[in-house]
Amino acid sequence: MAGSGNAHLRPRDEVLLRVEDLVVEFPAGRAGRTVSAVAGVSFDLRRGETLGIVGESGCGKSSAARALVQLPPPRSGSVLLDGQELTALRGEALRRTRRRLQMIFQDPISSLNPRRRVRDIVGEGPRVWQLPGDRVDEVLEAVGLDPGTAAERRPHEFSGGQCQRISIARALILEPEVVICDEPVSALDVSVQAQILNLLEDLKARYRLTLVFIAHDLAVVKNVSDRVMVMYLGKVCELAPGGDLISRPAHPYTRALIASIPSSARPAETLITGEPPSPVDPPSGCRFRTRCPRATDRCSLEEPQIRQIGEDHWLACHNPAPNH
Amino acid sequence: MRRGRLSARLGLGFWLATGWILLVLLAALLADVLPLARYDETLAGPPRSGPSPAHPFGTDGLGRDVLSRVVHGARVSLGVGLGAVLLGLAIGAPLGLLAGYRRKAADAVIMALNDVAQAFPALVFALAVVAFAGANLRNVIIVLGVLGVPSWVRLVRGSTLTYAGREFVLAARVLGARDRRILWREVVPNVAVPASSYAFIGMAVVIVAEGSLAFLGLSVQAPTPTWGGLINEGRTIMEDAPNVVLAPSVVMFLTVLSFNLVGDRLRALTDVREIGLEPVRQAVAAVPAPTAPHPVRDCLLQAEDVRTHFVTPRGLVKAVDGVSFTLERGRTLAVVGESGSGKSMLIRSILGLLPGTAVRGGTVYLSGDDLTARSPAEMRSVLGPRLGTVFQDPMTALNPVRTIGAQVTEPLRVHLRMGRRQAREEAVRLLASVGIPDPARTLRRYPHQLSGGMRQRVTIAMALSCGPDVLFADEPTTALDVTIQDQVLRLLHRLREERDMAVVLVSHDLSVVARWADEVIVMYAGRVVERGPAAEVFGRPRMPYTEALLQAAPRLTDPAHHRLRVISGRPPDLADLPAGCAFRARCAYAGDRCATEPPPLTEVEGRAYACWHPLPSTETSLEGTHVDGR
Repeated sequence: MAGSGNAHLRPRDEVLLRVEDLVVEFPAGRAGRTVSAVAGVSFDLRRGETLGIVGESGCGKSSAARALVQLPPPRSGSVLLDGQELTALRGEALRRTRRRLQMIFQDPISSLNPRRRVRDIVGEGPRVWQLPGDRVDEVLEAVGLDPGTAAERRPHEFSGGQCQRISIARALILEPEVVICDEPVSALDVSVQAQILNLLEDLKARYRLTLVFIAHDLAVVKNVSDRVMVMYLGKVCELAPGGDLISRPAHPYTRALIASIPSSARPAETLITGEPPSPVDPPSGCRFRTRCPRATDRCSLEEPQIRQIGEDHWLACHNPAPNH
Repeated sequence: MRRGRLSARLGLGFWLATGWILLVLLAALLADVLPLARYDETLAGPPRSGPSPAHPFGTDGLGRDVLSRVVHGARVSLGVGLGAVLLGLAIGAPLGLLAGYRRKAADAVIMALNDVAQAFPALVFALAVVAFAGANLRNVIIVLGVLGVPSWVRLVRGSTLTYAGREFVLAARVLGARDRRILWREVVPNVAVPASSYAFIGMAVVIVAEGSLAFLGLSVQAPTPTWGGLINEGRTIMEDAPNVVLAPSVVMFLTVLSFNLVGDRLRALTDVREIGLEPVRQAVAAVPAPTAPHPVRDCLLQAEDVRTHFVTPRGLVKAVDGVSFTLERGRTLAVVGESGSGKSMLIRSILGLLPGTAVRGGTVYLSGDDLTARSPAEMRSVLGPRLGTVFQDPMTALNPVRTIGAQVTEPLRVHLRMGRRQAREEAVRLLASVGIPDPARTLRRYPHQLSGGMRQRVTIAMALSCGPDVLFADEPTTALDVTIQDQVLRLLHRLREERDMAVVLVSHDLSVVARWADEVIVMYAGRVVERGPAAEVFGRPRMPYTEALLQAAPRLTDPAHHRLRVISGRPPDLADLPAGCAFRARCAYAGDRCATEPPPLTEVEGRAYACWHPLPSTETSLEGTHVDGR
């Protein structure tokens, strides 16, 4: 995998958010070494679309999400929101534009300030922007909380699922165009997870949201997404509508991800061994080649470029699975 | 209720200490209006007299009332303490906030200066400055206040770093809040709690420092009495009037102790998460009812009516309430349930690894041998050699400062009494058997140098080192990536076959369990609600909760934007369980009987379920199944 390229991007005037060649790096210890968290990732979203990003820990999905809101800004690359280049904005202009994007995080406890009441947490956005009217009750109701009992309490009095509802309410109150959900259900029990996933779908329809949905669970991502993008070690592997991706996975890593879901009927031969290499010192060529059952010499020399292999099905691999 | 719990957590010592501080504070504030002799009135009573009704603390060498002098001395001590602490806070807190919030250059400069400042010998510095600038209240406050600044910077910076990294700060920034607002609204309220606790400890430090200065005559000058000065004056007449030294000493000692105690207690409260989780210590009350007689079966592991209860101020929490099962060699039993279902507590109960506040009931037999009758010391010879354990987070299971080699060889040397060399060779073999590449080199490494998957393999190797009969794996793959998760589960399965062990696999993830378990127990609110062969339980669930769990998880085969079936509501409060079936409020099939009578676990054709309205066993619709039952 480890693919680069922008062949899969759609015309600029059709999309709301367009991310091009995003690169995120962090300093790693001494000696000026860097962690290559995101290495040239591109994707785009139409208004009202949900893009799922799936991958294992260290694949750069969360770093990419934070780079979208410029916290911290990416090392290089472009983030276009409705034609406006976010990476070129600074200070006040960035602050004004950034509020059109909102985020929901994984850890329901760490996402909420333990010392503030729910009313203040959710009402923070309007207060910052000095918006007239009080929409806190309305938004709390929209996420399925009773404003009468919930608003005056503090986060520790709520369960994980309810905390996640509060986080969603906080993100929604500013009427954002894009909501970035970074592993929003990973910390929740199965039954609560289903409640939150359904809620996100309802709210998406009600508020005409565009969603970036990040998770490590392919089944969850597929459930809420229109298109699913598979990432590995900071690179894009494969991008396709969810159904297509599951029924005709072409990238060896996608196949391995599907096979490792216990309920899938994929044969075990598609499983991979070993562990992801360090992002401080990623492999040459295709970054997946060290674990890939189909790797050849070419994979170590030449990085695969993203190319089209079906209707809206994109792949970055030199040796895709044959039965595609 | 919350308030009651809070005061219980603070303890009696806290309230006594607070009372003493208030008493000293009030006395200091009201020193002029209290019916006391004037502190500088000589011959208010006979000199060097002991305690009497007129002079409760006696009189000093000049016949002055010691109580009055101690009370007026409190003004200086508390005044200096308060002033110095506030001064240190006023300078240190903004610097600490700046360093912790801005990081980078600001942090580097502030902390470098701070380290330099902290390297000064504080008391010598104070002596020098006061001796030079003049010993008066203002100078003492300034010197002690400034000396406290480095500690304040350190404390506030550390706390700020913690909170500034939390996601709610990131969220505030995405909302558009400016730095100043984020600092005031999100960071400062959180930092304020540890800071206020430190303020009390700082008071104690300053009172001692002021006492030392006063003893040397470098604090507020006579005629104003100070505690340190009083002790110094009394020193010369200690033999015939010990009260002159003792009174200020004891008062000062109690005051310093009280401030430290209050500070410590407040600090214990700062961990918000700690509050709901810590089992409250209280005398053992209701021991679970004696269990009915049962046969001891001829099997490897038998649990009979296992109960784990906690006595809390909110009532009796029945974390595990009557769980029974049997397990044979070469089989895997899965225990599934959501958080709070009691699945982990069941395992801990079987292993005898419970917090001291737990009340355990029921019996556990290992090859007919009653484990519950064993003392903790006797359990130790079973844990390891016969019962192996693997927990969710390998990082907490491994000691971070010891090498992998030291940790893997330890059970071999302790339980199997191997020599160093032999243990090492065995450790290499063990690591190789759990699929760790280059095991000899891995033995020399530390846990943090390995990935999560490798660490979990190490803990599995450790669990297997003494050849246990049963391996307990509590959420062994929850912290791991999916591709790694699969490798670890395969490994567990292979090892079970090779070693002819039994495995107890605890998981919240039904799909994990379905593939690798022979037998399944589904738990809800501390009880078993369904039990049976894995393929059957997941293929045709009889208990509505099992069905609902299966349907709540999204499936790969579902179309996108497929509406998931949810289980409405929340699990019941374990301290206040409903009268009938615990799942009733969330169940689509519930009837009248479910509200009044708890359904017993009914055994039918090798399966069991606890439900008054079970799903039909003939239901062929595989629609509800999530797994291809292999």
